[in-house]
Formats: sequence, C-alpha cells, structure tokens
Amino acid sequence: MSNSNDWTESWMNSQQNYWKAWADLAQRGMKVPEAPKNPFADGLAQWWQSVSPMAPPTGRDVFDKVMDVSKGYFSLAERFMSGAQAKPDGGMEAINNWLDGMQKTWSDWTQMGSAFRPEGMFSKDQFKGMNTFLDLPMDTWNRLAANVMPMPGDYTQAFQQNGAQPMQDQISKFLSVPAVGYSREAQEQYQILAQRQMDYMAATQAYQMAFGKLGMESTKGFQAALQTRMKDGKPISSLRELYDQWVEMSEAAYAEFVMTEEYQTLYGRLVNTLLALKQQMARMVDQNLEAMNMPTRTEISTLQCRQQELRRDNLKLHKDMKAMQAQLEAMRQSMLQMQAAPKPAAPAAKAEAVKAETVKAEPVKAAAPKAAAKPVAAAKPAAVKPVAGKPAATKSK
Amino acid sequence: MMPFDMRPDAVMQELTAYGQKLSHGMKNLMEVGEISTGVTPKTVIHQEDKLTLFRFNPSAAKVANKTPLLIVYALVNRPYMADIQENRSTVKALMDAGQDVYLIDWGYPDRADRYLTLDDYINGYLDRCVDVICERHRIDKINILGICQGGTFSLCYAALHPEKVKNLVTMVTPVDFQTPDNMLSHWVQQVDIDLAVDTLGNVPGEMLNWTFLNLKPYQLMGQKYLGLLDTLDDPEALKNFLRMEKWIFDSPDQAGEAFRQFIKDFYQQNKLLKGGLEIGEPVNLKNVSMPVLNVFAEQDHLVPPDASRAMRGKLGTKDYTELSFPGGHIGIYVSGKAQKTVPPAIGKWLDERS
Repeated sequence: MSNSNDWTESWMNSQQNYWKAWADLAQRGMKVPEAPKNPFADGLAQWWQSVSPMAPPTGRDVFDKVMDVSKGYFSLAERFMSGAQAKPDGGMEAINNWLDGMQKTWSDWTQMGSAFRPEGMFSKDQFKGMNTFLDLPMDTWNRLAANVMPMPGDYTQAFQQNGAQPMQDQISKFLSVPAVGYSREAQEQYQILAQRQMDYMAATQAYQMAFGKLGMESTKGFQAALQTRMKDGKPISSLRELYDQWVEMSEAAYAEFVMTEEYQTLYGRLVNTLLALKQQMARMVDQNLEAMNMPTRTEISTLQCRQQELRRDNLKLHKDMKAMQAQLEAMRQSMLQMQAAPKPAAPAAKAEAVKAETVKAEPVKAAAPKAAAKPVAAAKPAAVKPVAGKPAATKSK
Repeated sequence: MMPFDMRPDAVMQELTAYGQKLSHGMKNLMEVGEISTGVTPKTVIHQEDKLTLFRFNPSAAKVANKTPLLIVYALVNRPYMADIQENRSTVKALMDAGQDVYLIDWGYPDRADRYLTLDDYINGYLDRCVDVICERHRIDKINILGICQGGTFSLCYAALHPEKVKNLVTMVTPVDFQTPDNMLSHWVQQVDIDLAVDTLGNVPGEMLNWTFLNLKPYQLMGQKYLGLLDTLDDPEALKNFLRMEKWIFDSPDQAGEAFRQFIKDFYQQNKLLKGGLEIGEPVNLKNVSMPVLNVFAEQDHLVPPDASRAMRGKLGTKDYTELSFPGGHIGIYVSGKAQKTVPPAIGKWLDERS
C-alpha cells in the first residue's frame, strides 16, 4: 500500500505543479502550451491500473464504479479548466461550448438511422471519458441484455459500426430466399434467427434514438437551471455542484420520459425482441442437442414440471395423512374415554355423564401434540371436535 | 451575474482533494476486511428445499409479547436487509420492543425450482412455516410482518388463512400495482411475460437489479459513487456503504412460474385490488379480518405510498392502522430515524393486540 500511496502523492503533486505553472503562464499573458487532452483522467486511469491488483475482492466492484464515475468527473474538470484558464468569464464560454456540442451530438444522434452506438460519438475529444455521465440508462440496458444473452457485452455493436449496412443488406437477401430442399427446415430456422436479430437491432436503434431526444431535453433542462441560478444569484461554485446540477436535471428529464406511452412501447419492444431472439437461439441449440442424442432444455423443463407436480401431490398427501392420523388418534382417545366412562344406570344420570366427559376431554387436548390437533381442526370432521372439548363439539353429542 | 463562480485554482484544489480522498479510500478499502451482514444471532428452526426458517435468539427478559412474529421477506433481494448491521437492524429493534422474531429466508432458487408457483410459496412454504411456529408455541395463530413483495404475500396468506394470523403488519407493501407514479408497473405493461419466462426459465436476479437501478440511473449508477468519496476516509462509513452495496447486488433468481403469475396478475392486471386473483383458491381481501398495521415510506420510489395506501377500505378488518414514515424504501429499515420510530411503533401496536 505504501507504494500505491507514494505513487498517488507523486501523481497529485505533478498534476498540481503542472496546472499551477500553466495558470501562471496564462496570467502573465504568455503563450501557453496546449493542454493535454485528459491529463487528470488519464493519470487517474494509470493510478487505478497500478493499484487495482492490490485491491481486495471486497469492495473491488465498488471501487471500479467509483473510478468509472471519477473519469467522467475529471473529464468534466478538464473541459472546464482548459476553457477557463485564460478567460475572465468563470468558464462560462467553456461550459457553453460543451453544452452546445452536446446538444448537437444528441441532435445528430436522433437523426442518424444506422449509427447506433453512442461510443462512436462520445469518443470525440470533447466527450472523451464522459460516457458514464451521458449514457447511463443505455449502459444499464446493455448490461441487462448481456446478462441474458450467450454473447458477452453488447455484441450488437458488431453489427452497428461503419460498414454494417452491407451486412444488413446481406441478411435481407438471405431472408428473401425461399427455403426449399432437404435442408428446408434448417434454413427456415436460420431465417427466423436472422429476422429476430434484425428485429432486435431495430428495437435497439429506436430505443437509442429516443435516448438521443432525452439527452437534448437533459441539456435544455441544465441550461435552464443555469439561467435560474443566474437570476437567483446562486452561481455554481464548484465542480461537484456542477455535476450535481447535471444529475438533477438529467434525472428529472429521464423520469418524465420513461413514464410516457412512447417509452412504454419502446421498452416493451426492446425486451420482447431480445427475448424472442434468445428463444430462437435456444430452440436451435436444442435441435442440435437432439441431433446428437443429448438431453435438450425442453426435455429437462418437461421433467422439472412433472417433478414439481409430483412433489406438490406428495406434500398434499403427507398433509392429508397427518390430518387423518390425528383424526384416528382423536377417535381412539374418544373411544377409550367412552369405554372408561361408567355406563349410565338410568336416564337421569345421562346429563351428568356428558358433563364428566367434557371435563375429561381437557387433558386429552393438552396431551395431544398441537401438530396433530391443527390439521384436525382444518379438516373439520364431526367426530373430532368433541375430543377437543369445544362447546360446539359437545353440542354435537 | 454569471451562472458560474468557479475559479481555476479552486477547481484545482477540489480535484486535489478528490485525488487524496481516493487514495485514502483505497487504503481503507485494503483494510476493510470481510463485510458482515445478518448480525443478530439466530437459530435454524426449519428447512425445506432452499427455504430456511430462522428464529432470532430471544432474550427471555425481553420477550414481552408471547405471540411470535414471523417476518416474511420478498423473493427479490435478501432478507438480511432487515438485520444489516448492529445499529441498523429492524429485527434487533423489534426484539428490543419485546417481540419474539422469526424470519423466512427463501434462499436462492435454481433451475430445479423453476416450476414453483405462488401457490407453492404461499399455501406451501409459508403455510408450513406458520404451522411449525404454531406447533412450537402451541398456539393457533401468530403475528406476521410482511416486507415489500413479502407483504403482498402476507396479505394474500392472511386472506387465504385468516384463522392462522392474529395480527398482520405490512411494510412498504404494494396493493394497487397501477398507481400513476409506479415506474416499474408502467414499464412492464407491454413486456411479454410469457415469452420472458418461457425463454429464460428462471428470471435472473441480475436482470432485476439493472431494472431497479434504471429507476434512477444517474443517481444510483453515478452520483452515489461520487458521494461515497465524502465518506471514504471513515472506515465505518465505508463498511456501511459496502454492506448496502452487497445487498443491492445480491439478488436471487426468480422462480419462473411464480414470477410469471406475480407480474401478470399483480402488475399487469392488478387483480389483488380489482379482484379475480387466485392462488390455489380465490384471494378475497375482505377475508383479512384480523387487525392490520400498514407501514409505508413517503419517498418510496419502488412502492409509491399510494400503492400501499390503497389497502385502506379494501380489507375485512375493522382494526386498520396506517403508519407513514418520512423516508425511502430502504431507509425505512436502515436509517437511524427509522430505527428509533418504526420498530417500537410496531411493537407497541402488536402488544396492544396481544
């Protein structure tokens, strides 16, 4: 750890010295060297690369996430610093340029039909390292999709980069070829797979384009919030405040958008097309397994279903048996009591005998295990209740 | 007036401080050790398949209420949220309030559990746990405290087996699944749940995780981690954060058939409120005749307060009480304020009806 600390201190000092010297030059009106694109973020990445192998498994994921967010945060700082050093406007111009650029990016995004992924757009210097700020909902979806698909990560990117159109054209041609001959069934299955792949890609594209619009709304909201702050005389005084304001406006725009009918449809289509694609993949895997005389998922599911039905029946039988055992035991006790009770000599003694029996029933209730008593009550047999000594049972006599 | 008042040297200082916090945080992270959760000592009472029924070891002096209290947690996430750490434990606070506390841990279903239905969970597992507790205490009925989805299950159970429930407490429990502010419900309306379960079998817990995080992606996937920096230099605060993080990402897979019915009947068709729900038998909320305490959180983004409040007037009981907590879905278990107010209020309410 001491090595990592040393490294960190050294990194921080060098960063500090660099920016100080750079600011001094700017203040003296001297020509300043061009600022490196992402000195903080890159330095941070290097630091994490060097210390992360020492991080214990506990908390490693958390720190990974902290680092992801930090990179974006530092990029934001660099954007501000590079524009603000020699300007007297408190970085306003830099921020405005940044926002205008972002607005344009979102606008381009919503108008682009085939360029799906935002990475291509955010890899421009202006947005380098900012994905964690701008792309969180999409990033979350990609993780979700990756979780249910056999391919790692967002494999659809492979179909969406430059040059993807010829591939899509090929798929369209393939889909238009009628399936004939001895391989007809196999060809049909592949055609269904290709069609579902296309459907999913189209759904993904529509979803992402909608998020382009959301980005524009977030940016507008952020700009409006800045105006309000200006009017209220509450300027943003730190990077953290800037970031928190951005999060607040993004979250507000997001919350509004995802409660629309439009989003509900987009989301439903996205999830359904993904699942349909996976279903077709699983079907084809099953067909291959069957061809190799191996158990398929469908067969195993059938067995699991039957097994669960059997277990359910089995548990019910156990419960019924337990209840019947309790009934039998109760009846046996009742018989024993009746045998032990003195026979009534005359009709006048009958009422007394019933009373005695009811009193005697008390110890029976206490002696009988509660477990046995419960199901009896549930089954409500007429012969059982007298044993428990309950008034209703006594009446039934 | 400009909207910014950020001097470069101040920003520089901010970044320097940020780097130092990261560095110190890394040091604390190296020394953090194992993260313990589920801290109150407990004993296994009953086990069945993946399910475990625990009893928190009672202190004889403290148990004032002789009717045991069974906590029914959700299938989603893990029940140690209710006992996450020594000074943030709803379980411990309930015990301090004189309750004899049991808890159902549903475990982690695997593919062999895919065909478990809500009937299996509610009329099977839950009912058998209630029987076990009744047998142990030689009583006919117990108190039940259902949490979130577990509260919905408890409500259904109380409607189906009212003779076994003495008092019912529901915490952050949805009853109306289609309130206008219910984001999850809005999203799921056009999702083909049959296709999902037929394709996936069990529904991966991770899939649910990401869905929950998408409720507030900028806060939950971004801002939260920046906020962590402010507490990184405090080893205890770091541990608390890691505990919570562990819980958030510790989501069991959902048994397919139970998930199918839960989403279709509850979220898509809102049958618990509108009627028509069947879990083995028809579920009629008018059968819930025992006293009910409905506890909800005013800033709950998962179960909006109105989703819980909908219970009012729909039950058969004449003894219905609401307890509103000014906090969120998780805060109601773990915040210091909740610890001081919610479990004692539940304990008092139960004692008054024991």
